[in-house]
Amino acid sequence: MKISKLSLFALLTIGAYLVLKIVVPIIGRFLHPGTWPLIPTSLLKMYMLFIIATILLYLTSKEESAKELISPIKATLTDPSKRMLRNIIFAVIPLLAAYITYSSVAPSYDAPVELRSIHPAPPSSANIYNKSYNLNSLKNPLRDDAANYAKYVKEGGEVYFKNCFYCHGDKLDGKGHFYQGFDPQPLPFMGTNTIAQLSESFVFWRVATGGPGLPKEGAPWRSAMPIWEHFLSEEEIWKVAMFIYDYSGNKPRTF
Amino acid sequence: MNIKKILRLQYLLMVTLLLILSYNIAEAAKGDKEAGKKVYEKKCAWCHGWTGAGDGPAADFLNPRPRDFTSGIYKYKTSNVDNPFPYEDDIFRMISDGMTGTSMPFWKDVLSDKDRWNLVAYVKSLAGLEGEPTAKVNYGKQIGSSAESIKKGKELFIDRCSECHGDEGKGDAMKKLKDDWAGNRLWPRNLTKPWLFRVSSDPKDIYTRISAGIPGTPMPSFDDPASKKKLTEEEKWHVVNYVTSIKNEARRIKEGDTVVKAKRLAGELPKDVNDEKWKDVESTAYPLVGQIIAKERFFTPSVEEITVKAVYNDKDIAFLLEWDDRTNSIPGDAKAQELADGELNEDAVAIQLPVTIPEEMEKPYFGMGDSSHPVNVWHWKSGTTKSEQSIKVMDSTGFKNIKTRDKSNVNGKGSYNKGTWKVMMTRPLKTDNKDDMQFEEGRFTPIAFATWDGTNGEKGSKHTITTWYWILLKPPTGSKVVFIPLLVAGLVFGAELLIARSAQKK
Ligand code: HEC
Ligand code: HEC
Ligand code: HEC
Repeated sequence: MKISKLSLFALLTIGAYLVLKIVVPIIGRFLHPGTWPLIPTSLLKMYMLFIIATILLYLTSKEESAKELISPIKATLTDPSKRMLRNIIFAVIPLLAAYITYSSVAPSYDAPVELRSIHPAPPSSANIYNKSYNLNSLKNPLRDDAANYAKYVKEGGEVYFKNCFYCHGDKLDGKGHFYQGFDPQPLPFMGTNTIAQLSESFVFWRVATGGPGLPKEGAPWRSAMPIWEHFLSEEEIWKVAMFIYDYSGNKPRTF
Repeated sequence: MNIKKILRLQYLLMVTLLLILSYNIAEAAKGDKEAGKKVYEKKCAWCHGWTGAGDGPAADFLNPRPRDFTSGIYKYKTSNVDNPFPYEDDIFRMISDGMTGTSMPFWKDVLSDKDRWNLVAYVKSLAGLEGEPTAKVNYGKQIGSSAESIKKGKELFIDRCSECHGDEGKGDAMKKLKDDWAGNRLWPRNLTKPWLFRVSSDPKDIYTRISAGIPGTPMPSFDDPASKKKLTEEEKWHVVNYVTSIKNEARRIKEGDTVVKAKRLAGELPKDVNDEKWKDVESTAYPLVGQIIAKERFFTPSVEEITVKAVYNDKDIAFLLEWDDRTNSIPGDAKAQELADGELNEDAVAIQLPVTIPEEMEKPYFGMGDSSHPVNVWHWKSGTTKSEQSIKVMDSTGFKNIKTRDKSNVNGKGSYNKGTWKVMMTRPLKTDNKDDMQFEEGRFTPIAFATWDGTNGEKGSKHTITTWYWILLKPPTGSKVVFIPLLVAGLVFGAELLIARSAQKK
C-alpha cells in the first residue's frame, strides 16, 4: 500500500511529537533518574516548528512530490463532491485556532518551568582560598598517603556529619532532614549519576565555591549549596570528598 | 491407596515443611550483635556515637538529639505500663521506618531485614538489655469515630492532655519540659499536624502512645493504676478519635504547590488577620528550614512550615502569613522568659521580593540577593513589653549588605492565639520609590519567606528560610480572554475563504 504524501506528513509530525513528549523523557529518566528535566511547552513548540519545517522541506524537495502533497488539499477545496468535508474542515480549523489562542492568553497558575544544567562545565582554573587552582591537573593530595586512607575517610565522615548531612542525607541519598526546603534539591551521592561521573577536582571546586560559584547555566541564584571555603579548610574538603566516595562505593572519574 | 489420599498426604507434608521453614526464618531473624556492630559503625555511629551514648559528631546539630542507647530507654514501645523496655519488634520498626519529623531516617531501603535485626541485637546490648517484655498494651475494642465520641474525647483531652498539648492541641501550653537523658529541652507534639508524628498517625499508634506514654519524656502513661488521671480503654479511644479529628490539612505541604495565588477583590482589602474576607482565599504551605547557608548558621529551628494567602485590589496588596509557634516570645515578660532557654528575643517574620521582576530565569540569589540583583525584605517583629510591634523595609544585596530604611511603606499587624501567629502585611501595588518592587498583574514574581522564634534563640542570621517560590496576581478573566480567540477564529476563517476562492477560480 502506498500512503499519500499528506498522510505521510501527518504521520511524521505526530511521530516526532510523541518522541519528544514521551520517548525522550522515558529514556532520560532511565539514564538519569530523578535529575532529568522536563521539556517546557514553549521549548517543545519551538522544536516542533523546526521539525515541521524540515518535513515540509523534505516532502516538497521534488516537483512531483510537492504536487502530490498538495493535490488532496486542492481536491478538498475544489471538488464539488467533497463539499461536506470542506464545510467541516472550514468550521473545525478556526475553532482549533480559537482554542489554542485561548489557552495561551487565559491566565494560569502553572509556575514557569526553569531549566538548569546540573553538571555545568567547570572553569579550567578557579580562585579558591585566594589561590589559583588549575582544575585540569588538580589532584587530591591525600590520596598519595595510602597508609592513612582509613583515617582520612573517618575524619571526612566527621566533616560530613557536621556540615553536609542535613541536606545530602544521613544515607547520602540527597534526603537529609532539610532537603525539602531547597530547590534544586540537594543531589544524592549514592548511585552512579552524580559524583561517580565527576573527577575529584570537580568535586573540590563544587564544594569550595558552592551554589554561587556555578556558571549561569547552573542557576547559581537558586542553589542552596553553601560556599564551603568560608567554613572548611582545604584539607577538610579533600577529606570529605574521600568520605563521600568511600561511603557510596564510587570512584572518582580519572579520565 | 487412591489418588485423593496421596494428594492429601502431599499436602500435609508441604504444610509441615513450610512450618519448619518459617520457624527457621523466625529463629534466624533474632539478630547477631557482632554483625550488628559492623553495620552500626558504618551507618549509625555518626549520630548515635561510637559507644552508643547519642554523642556522634552530628549530635550537636540536631533537635531532638539522637537516642542514647546506653540507657536502654526507648520512646516508642508497645509494651504495657508494667514494662519499661520495648519489644524487639518496636525497635525493629523504628529502625525500619525511621522517625518522621526528626533526622532519624528510615533504613528499610538500604539495609536488609537481617542487618536490621542484627542492629536491634546490638543496640539492646549497649544497655545490657535481654529478653522481651511480658505484656503488650491492651487495646480492648476499638471505638469508631463519631461526633459523640469526638465530643467525649475533647472533654477528656482538655482535662488530661491540654496542660502540655494546649487547648487546641498545638503543643503550646506554657510549661517547660525536659527529657530524662541529659535534660534536653522537649516540646509537646503539635497534634494538628499528624504527618509529623514520630511513629504514625494511625489511631492504633496514637492509642499506644496514650497507653504506654513516651518513656524518657514527661508524656505519661494513662494506664497507670496509681494515677488519678488513668483512662479506661473506652475513654482512650474517644481521645484518639478527638486527636485524629483536629488535623489541620491546610498546614500540610503539597509538593509542586509553589505559587501564592493572589486573589483580586473588588472592594476593600481585609482589615485585620481575622477578617472574614480571608476565609475563602486559597492558601499555600511552604517548608521552612534552618538558615544553614551563611555565617552564623542555625541548625535547630522549632517552626517547620508557613502558610500564605494574598489578596489585592486596584490600589494595594495584602499578605496573610500564618505559622504554628508554641510560644509568644515577649522580651521583658517574666513568664515568657521562663520558657526560653537563654536570651529571649522577639518573634518575627519576613517576606523577600526581588526589586525587579525578572524577565528571564535569572533571579537574585535566594539568600538576601546579590550585588547585581537587590531584594526588598519586609521584616515584622512581635514587640516587647516596652515596644510595640514593628515593621521595617530593608534593601539588601547580600547577607553582609543589608540596609534598613528609616521609613516603612509597608504596614504590618500580627496577632498570637493558642499556638499560632497570624501576621498581615499591606503595601500599595505601586510606589514611587525606585528601590521598591512594583507589583504587576499576570507576572510570575519570585517570593521567599523567613521566620524567627525568639524563645528558641532565633535572632539575626539565626532563623528559618525558604527557597524562592512564586506569587501571581491573577488578573480576572476579562473580556480580552474572549475577544482575542474570537478575533483569531474570524481571521482564520477569512483566510480559509480566500484560499478556497483562489483554488476554485483556477
Ligand atoms: C544547604 C544545603 C546543602 C548543604 C549543607 C550542602 N550541600 Fe552540597 N549541594 C546542595 C545542593 C542543593 C546541591 C545541588 C544543586 C547544585 O547543583 O548546586 C549540592 C551539590 C553538591 C555537589 C555536586 C554534586 C554533583 O553531582 O554535581 C557536591 C559534590 C556537594 N554538594 C557536596 C557537599 C558537601 C561535601 C557538603 C558538606 C561539606 C555539602 N555539599 C553541603 C546543598 C547542600
Ligand atoms: C542523622 C542522625 C541519625 C542516624 C544516622 C541514625 N539515627 Fe537513630 N535516631 C536519631 C535521632 C535524632 C533519634 C531520636 C528522635 C527522637 O527522640 O524523637 C534517633 C532514635 C533512634 C532510635 C530510638 C527509637 C525510640 O523508640 O526511642 C533507634 C532504635 C535508632 N535511632 C536506631 C538507629 C540505627 C540502628 C541507626 C543506623 C542504622 C540510626 N539510628 C541512625 C538520629 C539518627
Ligand atoms: C506532661 C506533658 C504531657 C501530657 C500530659 C501529655 N503529653 Fe503527649 N506528648 C508530650 C511530649 C513532651 C511529647 C513529645 C515527646 C518527644 O517527642 O520526645 C508528646 C507527644 C505526644 C504524641 C506524639 C506521638 C508521636 O508518634 O509522635 C501524641 C499523639 C500525644 N503526645 C498525645 C497525647 C494525648 C492524647 C495526651 C492526653 C491523653 C497527652 N499526649 C498528654 C507531653 C505530654
